[in-house]
Amino acid sequence: MKFSDKLKISQRNLFRAKLRTLLTVGAVFIGVFAISLTNGLGSGIREYVDRQLGNLGAKDVMLIQAKQAFSNPVSNDVLEYDPDRQLGQFNISFLGQDDINKVALVAGVKNVIPLYDAHLEYIRRNDAKFQATGSQYVQGFNIEMSAGETLKPGQVYAITLPARYVTPFGFSSAQDAIGKELIVGYKDTADRLIERSLVIVGVQERSLVGNIDSSISEEFAREIYRAQSIGGVERYPALFIRFDNSYTTSQQENLKKLFEDQKYSAMTLEDRVGTVGTVINTILIVLNVFGAIALLAATFGIVNTLFMAVNERTSEIGLMKALGANRRTIFTIFSLEAASIGFWGSALGIGSSIIVGLIGNRVATNTFLKDFVGFQLLAFPILPFLGIFAGGVALALIAGALPSLKASRLDPIRALRYE
Amino acid sequence: MITLELIQYIRDARYIGLSDAEIVQQLERAGWASILMETGLRALIEPSVREPIVLETHALTKTYESNTNALQGVSLAIRKGTSVAIIGKSGSGKSTLMHILATLDRPTSGELVVDGKPTSLLSQVEIDALRNKKFGFVFQQFFLNGRDTCLENVTLPLAIMGISKKDRNERGLEMLKAVGLEEKAQQKAVELSGGEKQRLCIGRALITQPEVIFADEPTGNLDTENSSNVMGILLDLQKSRGITLILVTHDPDLAKLCDRTITIKDGVIV
Repeated sequence: MKFSDKLKISQRNLFRAKLRTLLTVGAVFIGVFAISLTNGLGSGIREYVDRQLGNLGAKDVMLIQAKQAFSNPVSNDVLEYDPDRQLGQFNISFLGQDDINKVALVAGVKNVIPLYDAHLEYIRRNDAKFQATGSQYVQGFNIEMSAGETLKPGQVYAITLPARYVTPFGFSSAQDAIGKELIVGYKDTADRLIERSLVIVGVQERSLVGNIDSSISEEFAREIYRAQSIGGVERYPALFIRFDNSYTTSQQENLKKLFEDQKYSAMTLEDRVGTVGTVINTILIVLNVFGAIALLAATFGIVNTLFMAVNERTSEIGLMKALGANRRTIFTIFSLEAASIGFWGSALGIGSSIIVGLIGNRVATNTFLKDFVGFQLLAFPILPFLGIFAGGVALALIAGALPSLKASRLDPIRALRYE
Repeated sequence: MITLELIQYIRDARYIGLSDAEIVQQLERAGWASILMETGLRALIEPSVREPIVLETHALTKTYESNTNALQGVSLAIRKGTSVAIIGKSGSGKSTLMHILATLDRPTSGELVVDGKPTSLLSQVEIDALRNKKFGFVFQQFFLNGRDTCLENVTLPLAIMGISKKDRNERGLEMLKAVGLEEKAQQKAVELSGGEKQRLCIGRALITQPEVIFADEPTGNLDTENSSNVMGILLDLQKSRGITLILVTHDPDLAKLCDRTITIKDGVIV
């Protein structure tokens, strides 16, 4: 029998059991739709995160922290006293000047930048006065700007503001804010209020990844920190170290190991992005599992549908076999039915998820993602979607194998007696 | 003592494909045994041109799992172009014999030879192809696909053979004409009357120009008038096209229409 004839028979049979076919296609549709929508969401977020990496760090900068020594609250362990370990609030271990010296000696380290724990009181301009947080800008961090530029070396009393401050401060636009002055207030250890005038050099794009604070210069952060630290003992929650920017991944790993051997934890940009990625991936995996369960249920639907079809058409199969159709012919006809169910379910599922994605993107960029420039909620790269499509069809084929086998093995005599 | 009648009988018996052993058996049963003893068979028969043997079986047996012996050693030979009725009561084994002759079933022991080729040497795929090419089937229950058109039904064996749709339809229309259904080509099979349905089945059985048609109680679901009409068409086409017909029936009147009758009882030919 020609392939086209087998295909025609299988399509005709599917068409004749319209409702049943539709329901089974619907089951596949739900599974594929869920999986492709999840993947679209995952791709969208990942693409965005990749673009926003600069907010989290630079490629030639590593974050060094003390190995955290937590006492397990569940067990009754009590930590041994260790004079080198400085525990702050929440038991966070801090680093000190001796650590800076030690880290600076590690081969490959170009310079060490301590992270100063600076507390701001407020930012004000004219009458507008707001609660303020400021994070220390590390040269090389590629923060996305809506206007202006990131802080340059030597710009001590300068600031880049998150976009959300533009309107409250009465600027007409991000560009309008550039070059204007702001007053930042902080308190020293004696509770005296000190104010500094800072020039706005940039407005930061709104982002979901890092970049929620104003950025101030290292020098200014140090000034505040020193004014706020008691007794001149400096403690840092973390150090940034800069290494040769031509380092390969394996060289970076080696460097990391050197730190870890000295009881530090070291994180490259990739590690830190990886942490964000892990969270996103975990959520997506959970969603994918739901999709997979739906798809699994759908395969049972396909098995059921095809068994029903085989039972219904027993005498027809018997006739075809009596008239000389061989096993493979019968198997192919039923497999084609299964594949068609998978084909339509997958095609409709992916198609609908793309349509939903396009609408969703438009709605999202007009509403809650309005300020997140360049953020597509859902992205639809071709290859993974071809994979999902092929997977849907393959799953249907596998599900159809058992009923198809049953059909192909029917004894024509018995099948013809079956009325 | 040797009568013309006897010579004529042997000639006819040979013509329709009875084996010498069968002829001897039948003559013995008819009380001609003494003559056979005196003369020997060979002398009685003049050499004649005979049609080749299409179907031949050697000591077929069929035992089912329930240990019932459906067939207990059936040997026969059927010549091309003859019509043979296999007659017997239900449970006699006539259906089993037909199924084995038609390669729908395999014997427990013994051999079926089609066109001189032992079928036990063929693979299942080869047997399916052989059935498709050389055999046609007419069933009591028709087994038509009601929602397909008459043209689609009549050309189904050609589709299985892998013939293109264009050629299929050409031959299908010809065949529908031969069974008087050319007007109904595009009608659904379910809309046909019983007689028309069976004519459509005859068309389907004949469309591959088979060597043998197996008809299993072809008139079982038809009234008297339609029965004779359908049998007329079937025998007509069978004779005019030189096709062998194996008719399975329990009806002696129907069997009389055939050249030869094989009676089965308890799994043996009687």
